[in-house]
Amino acid sequence: MGCRDIRESISACVDGEASPGEAAAVREHLASCERCRVLERQMRAVGAGVREVRGSVPDRFREVVFARLESEGALPKRKKVVPTAWRWVAVPLAAAGLGLFLLTSREGIREPVPSGPATAWVGTSPPRALSPQGNGSALSTEDREMLAMLDLLEDPEAFDANDDEEGMELLAPGDSAEPPNPPRRGRSGV
Amino acid sequence: MRTDEELMLLFREGSREAFEELFSRHHRAVVRFAWRMTGDPSSADEAAQEIFLRIARAAPTYHPTAKFTTWMYTVARRTTLNYLRDTKEDGEKVPILSAGETEDGVYPVQLPGPDDRNPEQVVWAAQLTERFRTALGELPEGHRAAFVLNRGDGLSYEEVAQVLGVTVQAVKTRIFRAREMLLSRLSNDLSA
Repeated sequence: MGCRDIRESISACVDGEASPGEAAAVREHLASCERCRVLERQMRAVGAGVREVRGSVPDRFREVVFARLESEGALPKRKKVVPTAWRWVAVPLAAAGLGLFLLTSREGIREPVPSGPATAWVGTSPPRALSPQGNGSALSTEDREMLAMLDLLEDPEAFDANDDEEGMELLAPGDSAEPPNPPRRGRSGV
Repeated sequence: MRTDEELMLLFREGSREAFEELFSRHHRAVVRFAWRMTGDPSSADEAAQEIFLRIARAAPTYHPTAKFTTWMYTVARRTTLNYLRDTKEDGEKVPILSAGETEDGVYPVQLPGPDDRNPEQVVWAAQLTERFRTALGELPEGHRAAFVLNRGDGLSYEEVAQVLGVTVQAVKTRIFRAREMLLSRLSNDLSA
């Protein structure tokens, strides 16, 4: 095979993409052709050159890209969550408050359970039955506080909703807490 | 660790974290590709931004029928191609020579002899790299894309063929032609 005909195969060999037969033909040719051996080395050098053209990631590239994505609604919103630590603090605090109430409340210890038909409690939990809305005039301030705490414990979602505004935003690694720059638009405007 | 394809599907289902992970994995490669295709930092910045916008926009229609990176480079190549076309249509010349560059002061680089170390280990001087970047920018876009994807980003001929939508033989020919053109332009620098 002549030099002109085998050059494309040499290029494929340099890239490791030549078929076994093609590679054998190239090896045979190079063994006897100094000019093509030089060409083969130059082809390798040119291939290495493209990896030297690296560029670098522009400053604030991530912030700019994510700001543009958010401005056009192409990115899901970040999830707002209540910090886990607050959840663990809230339950013991509420339990401690309840215990304190039971120890100090005169009504809670001395007064008998309101009399009435036994069936009045069936199917309804006492805290619910004693809701401030249903029997507000019979409850003391401490009762109301206790019930508020119990409602909170029974309905964690209410807790989350109350605390949502104070929820911390989760930041991904590399994110900045600072607001991103205004988005840059590409020249193409596509 | 989740695969790129799994992350893309999660993003399609509404996971922002999945997209952030994909971005972390691939933004450097995307910027490099845009830099090699457009030839200057500001164009590469804008093109790379646009590539990620297009990836996000295309998420609802994404199906993992091919490797994510092959799909990503397909988006990247089309975006840079459109960017270059738009730039030309606007009457602006696609940057080829950097500011202050002249034809003078070229220092030919001697390649090692047959018995020396691997030519791919030749240390590229900054000036030669700059001239190489210029020569790369003068290649036809299809040849440049094939050569950059294969030699720069490590895609196989088969993967390059998928990205460019041509046959493997066409890729082989384009890469060979790209090499010939580069060698012709850099003959003074790459004397053997």
